[in-house]
Amino acid sequence: MSWHRNSRKYHKWLMLFVGMQFVIWSISGAYMVFFDIDYIHGDSLVVNQQTALKSEQVNYPIAKIYTDHPNATNVELTNLLGAAVYRFSDGKEKYLLSADTGKLLSPIIEDHAVLIAKHLYAQNDAKVRQVSMIADHPPTELSARHLPVWRVDFNDFASPSFYISAQTGELVTKRHTFWRLFDWMFSFHVMDYVEEDASNKLLFIVTVLALIASLFGLILTYFRVFKKKGNKLNKARRAA
Amino acid sequence: MRLIKSLHKWLSVFVALQLLIWLGSGLFFNLMDHSKARGNEYRIKPIEAAVIEHNRLLAPSTILKQLELKHSEHKQPMQEVNSIKIIELLGKPYYLLNHHQALYQHFYNEHSLINAYTGEQKVIDDDMAQAIASDTYSGTGAISSTIRVLPPIDDFLKEQNTVWQVNFDDELNTSIYLDASSGRLVGHSNDDKRFADFFFMLHFMDYGSVGSFNNWQIMFFALLTLVFCLSGVIWVVELLSKGRYQRA
Repeated sequence: MSWHRNSRKYHKWLMLFVGMQFVIWSISGAYMVFFDIDYIHGDSLVVNQQTALKSEQVNYPIAKIYTDHPNATNVELTNLLGAAVYRFSDGKEKYLLSADTGKLLSPIIEDHAVLIAKHLYAQNDAKVRQVSMIADHPPTELSARHLPVWRVDFNDFASPSFYISAQTGELVTKRHTFWRLFDWMFSFHVMDYVEEDASNKLLFIVTVLALIASLFGLILTYFRVFKKKGNKLNKARRAA
Repeated sequence: MRLIKSLHKWLSVFVALQLLIWLGSGLFFNLMDHSKARGNEYRIKPIEAAVIEHNRLLAPSTILKQLELKHSEHKQPMQEVNSIKIIELLGKPYYLLNHHQALYQHFYNEHSLINAYTGEQKVIDDDMAQAIASDTYSGTGAISSTIRVLPPIDDFLKEQNTVWQVNFDDELNTSIYLDASSGRLVGHSNDDKRFADFFFMLHFMDYGSVGSFNNWQIMFFALLTLVFCLSGVIWVVELLSKGRYQRA
């Protein structure tokens, strides 16, 4: 049998098995390249607040933090809703303190978390649809190291969620429909249905078959597009 | 159906090369050594330095007052401070002042460093950059050069801050990058990572090396490939319905 006929046979049969994955690759790939990655990461949902600290806001000395927590690490003086605050870690615990009075602000209550979320959210008039406390069993989109967090869902286009740390009041992550879809698309793209990474065996087998199928396809392209003229010429010559 | 078939045939000419590149680089990602591709062969955590003497720390409010004084008395433009963080560099505590806060560390930020005991400003020079970089390095190479690099940075295309690049003469050509204004370790890079990055560049059609897969050429080819694959699957369905999938 000729290269041409063989290639047609193998291309036909291999694509019966991997053709659908080609469609999945091209749909998921197109989705990922068409949506701007910064939009996907929800960067446009957040106002990047720049709030300057003033010396008169800071009346609680940093030394007192170390008196109460000699092993304090990551000590930071920063802003939260216009007020100066200290953030620090002590072992696994994280603390939030008023830098004015030294009052302990953590863990923050629900209303406080909602205020922070609204303050950071790009749309001023956004309505909050639902607030929930996540202390354990985080959803896959949230890393367990951020726990406990308040999840603040906005009633807005693409159902955005802000995750506010209950310990520090920080926005630890955010999600919206198109990011959630992106994560699904990525899963389909790397076929992590069984093993959850891009070096799984299923992907390996399908990619190798896909490569072979494509190479046979390339041979077909050669015969049907580039060799065609030659074939016609030969036929014409033979006829003459 | 004839249209579908001729579409499939002619699109194959246009997408062939890129499709093979996608499959080939995809196979590479599937097989590559992920830990090597991260470029962290010689990266270590710096040894925990001396304990901060808390009683010697200047109050952050004093630092703020210093800046406010500079502004009011010396008519210097006010350097607004968004946050003050205690960090350690080479065993000494510094206050890291943020003057422009971005959403992420690798986005454009502005920082300055102040010695937390004396209140003196510290600018990271090449000597200090070399010392910080060496503390994160476990290889046997010696430093061959130290260069201040403005973004874009070939080894870390997403980094938007000016960095110190400390190069080592080991067999992997390790380069260590530090944020020039804060001393933050941006990361290690080496020939293994550069090799993997080359395949990412191919897979993302990032032929201008801007570190993104949202470029017009990949969008264009993604569309063609989508039509190409759909026409192929329709063809398969047609062959199935006509009973053309039979052994022999």
